[in-house]
Amino acid sequence: MSTPTTSNAAAGNGAAPLRGKRILVAKPGLDGHDIGAKVVALALRDAGAEVIYTGLRKSPQQIARVAIDEGVDAVGLSILSGSHRELVAQVVECLRAENADDIALFVGGTVPAEDHAALSALGVRGIYTSDQPLADVVAALGAALA
Amino acid sequence: MAGDATLDRRALARRLGQLADASVADVLALAPATPATVPRIGLTGAPGVGKSSLAGRLALLRAAHHRIGMLAVDPSSPLTGGAILGDRIRLDELAGAENLYLRSIASRAHSDGLADNLPELLEALAAAGFEELLLETVGVGQAEHAVRSQVDTLALVLMPGAGDTVQAMKAGTMELADIYVVNKSELAGAAQLAAEIRRVQALRAAHDGWQAPVVLTSIHDGDSISALSAAIDAHQAWLDEHADRAGRLAARARYRLQLLLERRLGEVLDALSADTLEQPLDMQFAAALAALPLDRTSS
Repeated sequence: MSTPTTSNAAAGNGAAPLRGKRILVAKPGLDGHDIGAKVVALALRDAGAEVIYTGLRKSPQQIARVAIDEGVDAVGLSILSGSHRELVAQVVECLRAENADDIALFVGGTVPAEDHAALSALGVRGIYTSDQPLADVVAALGAALA
Repeated sequence: MAGDATLDRRALARRLGQLADASVADVLALAPATPATVPRIGLTGAPGVGKSSLAGRLALLRAAHHRIGMLAVDPSSPLTGGAILGDRIRLDELAGAENLYLRSIASRAHSDGLADNLPELLEALAAAGFEELLLETVGVGQAEHAVRSQVDTLALVLMPGAGDTVQAMKAGTMELADIYVVNKSELAGAAQLAAEIRRVQALRAAHDGWQAPVVLTSIHDGDSISALSAAIDAHQAWLDEHADRAGRLAARARYRLQLLLERRLGEVLDALSADTLEQPLDMQFAAALAALPLDRTSS
């Protein structure tokens, strides 16, 4: 893939590890707190990504449809409600039904350590909790999508 | 209409991604010989006037009768190239509408509110079998002039209390729109703004014979969205009867070529050495011109 052209020579790849990536930040389920999702969306933008943000309370079907139509490289699900296992399983199922399970899936929010293995088994490529520095999340995503 | 109900959304998404990332050389290689033409509607206006919600409602309404392909352009950061594309936030129904395909586009290197390769993206949607294209762009400075060339019907979205009639006059957009939309019509001052636009319009000689209507809209009032949709239909019908179609297509082609040439110039300028820029101006100019042909730098 060619690098997007820009006449702004100041923007080096070092400062923008996610440059050229399209990432959907989505909030499935019923919890109404999207500050975390917004903070992550801004950090991803500042790392050069084109971030599609869906807002609150999207169904797994809606998330999969948007991921496909927007041609994203990755989907980040922000889940604070505790229903992460069910919601992630449904999103994975919806993506698979549309032959789009090659889109990388990440989860952020409140996910207890004992659930990490189950999410990984569903195909989740990375799990980020609120105690992790944003820079680490960006670096991990950059490495996973490189 | 070809491809009814069999739209391969994944394939289209990939094609649009490929086009959005295409270099000038790639665009030249990928461009179809005879692009499909379908009606194109543009919605533009300042940030915050409610364009995204309005465009979404309009798209849903029109998707009941046509297969709609929609592009929504948001600005990229000039520093990192990153962007927040938030046009989907307000409308859950967008993702469920089979007749509707919405793609968010970052403006990338382009500074006039449109996007790199926007003409090619619109053509790709037309080629995918959509019966009508909807383009939503943030109005910044000269953006409306650019979007004007890419659409058949241009609606300028304003809202009361923003002082933007004068701003729009300054930017020259008051002459460009085919339809004026006073959005957030539930706010105080909406009727006054509509009256003000009508007065300005009445004093102006319509240069092409179309009298641009003023439509008051609110996303809480479905009838007002229908009225906007009807105004669009009326303008499209008028275009079929009266407008200089060849002239419009020529202006569209000219802007498309301009975009490609500008991007090529950007590539050439980025590649010029510091030594070259210390030479006399006529030699700098000659060096830049000499570097323009694509075969010298394309891979």
